[in-house]
Parts: sequence; structure tokens; C-alpha cells
Amino acid sequence: MTELSQNRRKIIKATGSAFFASGLSAIPLRGYAADPVNIGALYPVTGSMAQIGTGCVAAAKLAVNMINDAGGIKSLGGAKLNLIISDVQSDTTVTRTETDRLITSNKLSAIHGCYASALTLIACEVAERAKVPLITGSSSDMLNKGGRSYTFTPFARASQFAQTQLQMSRLATDKPKVAVIFENTAFGTATSNGVKELAASEGVEIVMFEPYSAGFTDAAPLLNKVKASGANTLFSLSYLNDLILIVRSIRQMGLNIAVNAGSGGFVMPDFYKNVGKLADGLQGVTHWNHDISPESQKCNEEFKKITGEFLFEYGGGLIAQTYMLADALERCASRDPQKVREALSTLDVSSGYAAMAPGGRVKFGPDGKNIYGRPVGVQWQNGDLASIYPKDFAKASVLKS
Amino acid sequence: MLETVMQAVINGLLIGGIYALVSIGVTLIFGVVKIVNFAQGEFVMIGMYLSYYLSSQFNIDPVVSVLFSMPILFVVGVLIQHYLIRRVLGLNDLPQIFLTFALSLLIINLSLMFFTANYRTIHTWYSDEAFHFWGVYIPYAKLIAFVLAMILSGILWLFLKTTDLGKAMRAASQNRDVAQLMGINPNRVFAVALGIALALAGAAGSLLMSFYPAYPLVGQVFVLMAFVAVVLGTLGNVLGALVASLLMGIAESLGIQFIGADSGLIVVFILLLATLALKPSGLAGGWRK
Repeated sequence: MTELSQNRRKIIKATGSAFFASGLSAIPLRGYAADPVNIGALYPVTGSMAQIGTGCVAAAKLAVNMINDAGGIKSLGGAKLNLIISDVQSDTTVTRTETDRLITSNKLSAIHGCYASALTLIACEVAERAKVPLITGSSSDMLNKGGRSYTFTPFARASQFAQTQLQMSRLATDKPKVAVIFENTAFGTATSNGVKELAASEGVEIVMFEPYSAGFTDAAPLLNKVKASGANTLFSLSYLNDLILIVRSIRQMGLNIAVNAGSGGFVMPDFYKNVGKLADGLQGVTHWNHDISPESQKCNEEFKKITGEFLFEYGGGLIAQTYMLADALERCASRDPQKVREALSTLDVSSGYAAMAPGGRVKFGPDGKNIYGRPVGVQWQNGDLASIYPKDFAKASVLKS
Repeated sequence: MLETVMQAVINGLLIGGIYALVSIGVTLIFGVVKIVNFAQGEFVMIGMYLSYYLSSQFNIDPVVSVLFSMPILFVVGVLIQHYLIRRVLGLNDLPQIFLTFALSLLIINLSLMFFTANYRTIHTWYSDEAFHFWGVYIPYAKLIAFVLAMILSGILWLFLKTTDLGKAMRAASQNRDVAQLMGINPNRVFAVALGIALALAGAAGSLLMSFYPAYPLVGQVFVLMAFVAVVLGTLGNVLGALVASLLMGIAESLGIQFIGADSGLIVVFILLLATLALKPSGLAGGWRK
């Protein structure tokens, strides 16, 4: 990328922030006369991840309303949760300053955020220093390294995703020959390396391992290369735009290949809107899906009423996270962030909304990782995302394409 | 192996046709008006959204919507020339650069506001289908786009070679002052040049829409390739930009196939540097002395 276009992006971001700095930076959701419990929410509502960030905010609001409508935190005299949303603008520098500002200008009991691992890694450093617990659905294994004690990750880690992806390749064929294509920045590189390391132990042959620059004009040359490799399974670790082009090109080529596109944009309702029926049969891996439990189905119905879309992976996980915070607040009966952290570290739930995760149980280890966290394999079936792997999580049978 | 190479060349040519529509617009504006239009990609984006809305609201096929996007963007081009670019001509280069750059930022941000950051795609009966023969395939949508791109380039070339206005444009691009002495009205010529360039961007957008998703930043993806093609094909040379665009498409595709999927552009830039080393003013220019 040229320096010029980088500058241009910076300017675009700066203009965007000027629009939003006044309005969006700190909106208390509701004003209460009694002392509410302040929960900080860091999401990219503007910038390149704006679309998903907006969905996260909708889910976060839904979760808070559900808890408040049910009577708030009873051990604190029915105190309501007060969500304080802050826009991190899909930008690492902004994330640092916004997290700092959010913590210093509000008395927070806990924080959740930021969707993208790259942003969460920065926010959790700031939260760690300020001694405020941060709970996140971000999947990077890095979040569990470095001896942090205020960071909690209730869902499956990126390394577990890779393993599930490899195991799922056997659903379509007995002898998977996998072509791995991945966009060549942090997200694609980290996940693809996980796949490469585990392939041998899972008995899966990798016939092509190819980084590419995200945002290409045409997917056909890359897929021509995949075809020449003789692969029968394609792992595509891509952003939404590239993935749309890849799926359409596969169809045009008439290439007979099973596709597993991991997580991220692939599991969003928007993906199906863009590729339509071509999506049916494609597989992915998520840390949460709307069909995993009766509670998740209920949340899904509520979310559909508000947005018209099914509840997406990260949004659903976010509702569960809010209930985990509520559980901790209930037990420690305090707004003090350090007490909330202690209560989170001893959290052990296996029922209700807080346990709404594949695996059905949440208990954090010393590294902040949920020791029962597991990913779930999903497949697009008639415009809906169905859980299909492993067998004990499966809610639908595998659609052979 | 032969099939793989053939397919790579076909893929490259097809996308090269789209690069050509964008780069011919840039080179035409540069040649005639002597300014660099940084907002060219954004007009491609506008063309895409025009086609998207015509298709989703009125069920007009994206290829047919060329008939709407070209005239609309032609008028936009004339207006931009008349009310904006004309005012900064004759000054030094900086205000001109800032003008088109600001225009690009403005259009992107307005699009984010009005169209949102969501991806939009159109599905037509042909958009995901293809011809298959001799072990290779040609997607219908890309073939239609390529053929129309070549026809439009051909019409433009004929226009420049045979009509009075076309000749006046070429004259103005060779020497503005002398052209003015010969009775050519530069304002009129410049307005038409801007109009044609933006109409081509609109056409590129409409043709892209049948196989590429639209989003506010999509123009940036194509404009980089367009600028390289303009330099490679000699600044201001329409035929040069066309040939360079097709060559770049093929070089990129072969680069992805045989070097690496993240080095497709490396091949393109090596091609550019090698050309500039031997022919400093591009493919259509003279050899290095």
C-alpha cells in the first residue's frame, strides 16, 4: 500500500472521529436515580469494523435490558446495569486512549470489548494497569499469555479453532487434501499457522499454504492456483469482501471443493445476503452459535425482533458475558472492580444465560481462559447457520454439497 | 499445466479490461486538463451504487444500467470541471492535487453516511455462471464486462481520431496555448474530457457490479492499478493505458500463479520499473537515450 493511501485512510478515520467524538463517545444508556452499576463497552462503531461493532452494541444493550428487566443485581438492592459505550474506531491508537478515558472518567465495575483481537490486546493492557476486569470474546491466544489477571476469555481460543477446522475436513472426505489460503496480516497469519502446526497430528495433508494480500480485485488467479494444487478441501481465512469473491469464483469455475472459512465475517448474516444460495453447504467454526441451547435460542428471538437478523457469534457471546458479569456482581455484592475480578475468577456456572457457550460450562483458569471453552463447527443451511460439529453439539445433520 | 497457464492469462485479460476503463479515464484527464484525478476510483464506486440501486429498485440489469450511469456521470464530470477544477487551473499543482484529493475524501465519507459500510452484491442469471471449454472457463459476467470495455475504448479512440472535438482534445493535450490560438475553446474541451472520463468510470462501476461487491472504499482497490497503468502506458496516452492495463492484468495473474498470491503486484511493479528504466516515459514513449 502506498504511503498516500495510508495517509488517506488516516484522514478518513480522523474525519469520522470528528463526527462521532461529540456524540457517541460516552452515552449512558439510561439515567437512574439509584446507584447503577457501570459497565464499560468498547466497540468499533466507526471505521472498517463499524458494521460488526454496531451489531455488538445492539447485543450488549439487549443483554443489559434483559438483566435490568429481571430486577437488576439483587444483592445490590436491585441496582441496574448501566452500559457506557465507547467507540474505538477500528484503530489501535484510539483504542488505547478511549479505554483510558473510559476508565478514568467513569467509575466502572467491569469492561467488555472490543471484538477484534488486535484491539482487545491493547484495551486489556490498559484495563490491567487500572485494575478493572475485562471480559472478551476475542479469540487470540495472546490474551491468555503474559500473566494478566484482569482479562477473562470465556470462549474457545484461536488454537482450538484450528484443530476443529482440521477435524471437520473429514466430514466431506476420508482423505482431506487441504489448501490453506489466508490474508497476510495478523489475523490470517496467526490462524493459518495454528492449522499448519496441528495438521500432522490430526492426520490431514496440506497441499497448499498460501498467503495473499487482502482486498484483491479478482479471486480467479488465486483459485486457479488452488485448482492446480489438487486440493479437495479449501480453508479460506479471509475478510468478508475477499470471501464473497472467492465463493463466487468457485462457482464460476465449477470447482468441486469443500470449503471451511473459519470465523469472522463468514458467520455474519451479511455473508449470506451477499452470496445467497452459494453459501449453503459452506462450513466454518465459531465460539458461539444461536442454536446451542434453549437460552441462546431465546436471545436469538429477541435479537431478531430488534434487528431483523439472527444473533451472530460475537453478539451472542456478548450476552453470555454480560450474564457472567451479573453473576459475579451478584456474588460479590459490590461495585468495586477488584472485588468483581475476584468473583469472576471463582465463577463456575453450568446453567442459565451465563453458561450459554459451547461446552455449557464456564470456569476460568489462572490464565483467564475458560477451561471448558470449546469451539463449535457450523454450516450454512438455507440461509441459517446450523451447528454440525462435534456430534454432541450438533443441531443439524451435515449437508453434503 | 497448459490449461493452468491459459486460465491465468484469461483471468488476467478479463480483469485488465476493467483496469483499462478506470485508467483510460485518469489518463484522459491528465492528458487534456493536466491534472491528476485522485477521485477517479470514487466515481467507479458511484457507478457501482447507481447500478446497485437501479437493479434492486427497478430490476434493471447492471449491464443495461451503463445507459444510465454513463450519462449521469458525464454530467457530473462537466459540472465538476466547470465549478471546481476550472477555478484552480493555471495555479501551481498543489491546489489541484488537494482539490481532487478532497473530493475523494468527501465522496467516500458521504457514501459511508448514506450507503453505510455494508457490502452490496447483485445476482443476475449470468453472474455466477461460465463457459467451459478445453479445460478452461470464462465467466459470463466478466466476459460481458471485458467486451463492453473494449468497445467503449474503441469508440473513444475513434472519437479522438476522427471528430473535430476529439482532434481539439488531442490538440489541447499537446499544447494548450497553441490550441487556444487555433480557436479551440479550452473550457469546452476540458469539460468534455472530464465528462468522458467520469462516464468511463461509471461504466466500469456498472460492469463491475455484476461480479464485484460494492462498498464505500471499493474505488481504492482499483485506482492503484489504474495509476500504475497510466504511468506504464505513458501519461496522457489512451491507447498506452489500454495496453498497459491488459498487460498488468496478465502479469498480476501469472505472478499469483507462479510466484505467490501476495506477490502478484510485485510482478506488476517490476514490469513498471523495467519499462521506466528502458523507456522513461512509458511504453508509448521513446527509448532511453
